[in-house]
Amino acid sequence: MSSTQGFVSLDALSRRDALRRIGLALTATGLGQGIDAADAAQVHQQVDEERTLQGQYKIKYFNEHEFRTLERLSELIVPADEGGPSGREGGAPEFIDLLSSQNEELAHIFSGGILWLDNASAERHGTRFVECSEEAQTGLLDSLVDAERNETGGETSWDTREYRRFSVFGVKSPSDMRQGLEFFGWSRRLIVDAYYTSPAGIKDLGFLGNSSHTEYTVPQEAIDYAFRRSPLRDA
Amino acid sequence: MAETEFDVVVVGAGAGGGTMARVLSEKGIKVALLEAGPMLDPQKDYKTNKWPHDYGHRSAEDGGKAYFGTGQAYGFMTAVSGGWQLEGEPYTSAPGTEFAWFRSRVVGGRTNHYGRMSFRFSDLDFKPYSRDGIGWDWPISYDDIAPWYDRAEEYIGVTGTVEGIRSAPDGKFHEPPAPKVHERLVRAAGKKLGVPFIANRRAIITRALNDRPACHYCGQCGRGCLTASNYSASQVDIFPAMETGNLSVITDAMVREVEVDEQGLASGVVYIDKEARAEKLLRGRAVVLAASACETARLMLNSKSKHFPDGIANGSGLVGRYLMDTVGFSLRGTLPALENLPRYDTDGFGGAHLYAPWWLWDGHDRLDFPRGYHIEMGGGFRMPGPNSFGRTARAAGYGAEMKRRIRQEYGCGIGLSGRGEMIPNNQSYMDIDPDTVDRWGIPVPRFHFSFSDYEWKQARHMERTFRDLIEAAGGKVLGIGNVAREAQGIAVPGSIIHEVGTARMGDNPGSSVLNRYCQAHEVNNLFVADGASFVSNPDKNPTLTINALSWRTAEYLAEELRKGNV
Repeated sequence: MSSTQGFVSLDALSRRDALRRIGLALTATGLGQGIDAADAAQVHQQVDEERTLQGQYKIKYFNEHEFRTLERLSELIVPADEGGPSGREGGAPEFIDLLSSQNEELAHIFSGGILWLDNASAERHGTRFVECSEEAQTGLLDSLVDAERNETGGETSWDTREYRRFSVFGVKSPSDMRQGLEFFGWSRRLIVDAYYTSPAGIKDLGFLGNSSHTEYTVPQEAIDYAFRRSPLRDA
Repeated sequence: MAETEFDVVVVGAGAGGGTMARVLSEKGIKVALLEAGPMLDPQKDYKTNKWPHDYGHRSAEDGGKAYFGTGQAYGFMTAVSGGWQLEGEPYTSAPGTEFAWFRSRVVGGRTNHYGRMSFRFSDLDFKPYSRDGIGWDWPISYDDIAPWYDRAEEYIGVTGTVEGIRSAPDGKFHEPPAPKVHERLVRAAGKKLGVPFIANRRAIITRALNDRPACHYCGQCGRGCLTASNYSASQVDIFPAMETGNLSVITDAMVREVEVDEQGLASGVVYIDKEARAEKLLRGRAVVLAASACETARLMLNSKSKHFPDGIANGSGLVGRYLMDTVGFSLRGTLPALENLPRYDTDGFGGAHLYAPWWLWDGHDRLDFPRGYHIEMGGGFRMPGPNSFGRTARAAGYGAEMKRRIRQEYGCGIGLSGRGEMIPNNQSYMDIDPDTVDRWGIPVPRFHFSFSDYEWKQARHMERTFRDLIEAAGGKVLGIGNVAREAQGIAVPGSIIHEVGTARMGDNPGSSVLNRYCQAHEVNNLFVADGASFVSNPDKNPTLTINALSWRTAEYLAEELRKGNV
């Protein structure tokens, strides 16, 4: 299993860069000893993490089949594209495994959810989810999204169950897929979060923060872009 | 029982206690500073420059607590020590009351992670009753406190620009950083609607000050700042004060009561040493309470003696009364003009670079509420964390299209928050729960709280204004900014963490607890240096005024000690 390989090397690179940047910026402002100690601590931690992560990931909670299903879901929900790799390479299966190993509620949602998904898959296609064709797999996920939109109107980040209490978001046409919605919602939430908090996801978003500058500037290009697209003029 | 003699015993190591301890110890006065939590170690406790992927749980905490609302308040990355509930230290609310009480337990207290908004109260704020006949006037005026604002700002360092707005007096400012793109959009929308957005006033330095280097714009003030480029009582007041050799910081010390001698004067404090789970006595010539408004009132009410059967210095019966928080309400929206915005670092100095001071201060005759609010703002390309993209992900479904939309909508979110003045009322107070003690055996506070129409109407004005601003910027309102906190249409009392006013100052001992120097009317050597002394709670975040008042009280106390009056 090599799902953390790309993740780690990117991580290490960006961390070293960041440390170098901070170190430079702080030296320039004449800072004392404190930061050097912090840098040192971070470097030590980094080295430790690389050591653990470079090796094969040892599954903490799920069985092999469950973990494979999470890997496949991570590839489908956050697929690789021109902006970056998949959720699997962003470390999503490991993230879900770690949290489930520490939280019975999540363990229940994911173990039960994977069994539910395999059953729904078997009813439709005669095989478990991971053994289906890609078309069959996305077909199942599409049905879950349709069911979710029927439940909530789609435009919300709220938990599905909470939304049922509000009549304006009432169920339009009940679907047998709704039993899988809690699992689907959690899968998407954790896969998305694992990907976008990974170095690859940070790069995909173009997040440039968490760094140090001697002065703060806002590029005119960005200001012009926004005002061109708005009904306003810069005050 | 060990006894040690100090000149002054200060209870609480936050903004008020930190300022008090520094000013006194710099004068050669021997100070003991008691803190209910541990010593702060910035190297260990701050998460400066960390990434979520530095942690296996990606900042969602063990077992994904952040997803279940059981994680650290304000998120794993912040320098929060404490929270809405502390194990073994409960508080209660009267039936029908909801009150949230945020306590920090560490040297520096809440100043390690607070928002650092630093606004002076205006001349109008000190005399509200004279103006509209509602509430009470302070015994002091803006002119009395202005020199102390000057000192506090010059020492702490506060950004801003000179604007000449009466409701938002100018101060001694550091240069503020340039406004971000979304802030410029909102400022332009405000200009159209007559809502002025100006440079934010925050306790952050943009030039070096007293060995503190200038801000390096990592945007992480809430995580604690290893370079002390922002204000925290721990790094800016207490650590320097410790170097004078005149300050003893006593940590893990939960103070139970103020000891009173035969003359009815304070002789020291009794505290529980949390490590030893044993009671200890600490003596001093004067006692200063700065434990935060509700802890201070709790301590006073629990300090019963033959001289003070209803709690120390409580002859007026007003200790615990006129508890106030800030009126909070927020809306969030999305600004499509920002879709696919060219990327730049929006972190800046760790919060909004612009804010809107109360602009209708002269127009209350045309409004259906008597007091104002200011507007805070959030937005930009924020560091991803738990649930950062929940709304977009759900709207888009999954897959390549979801990924494209997350990229497109990243940084489009905008939040506007109102912070308004609450008027003190008879229904809002705290007393001591007759049935409950904490794990240190100390009776706990019981809260009673009620907003009046003044606050509800003000919150609705916020709602309309924020909707208009978002729409004028070409945006769309998505909903309430903080559903868990503001579902009722106004933030849960206490949850803005501006609780003040439980031992108010005044010239008349029958209608106030403290005099104009925050000295107890009835106990010459007992002082208060936190927000408990506040007579009103203007729409200005309270910390800067706590710093200024504490400094003023410290100078007064030092002089009284020198003269032998205390």
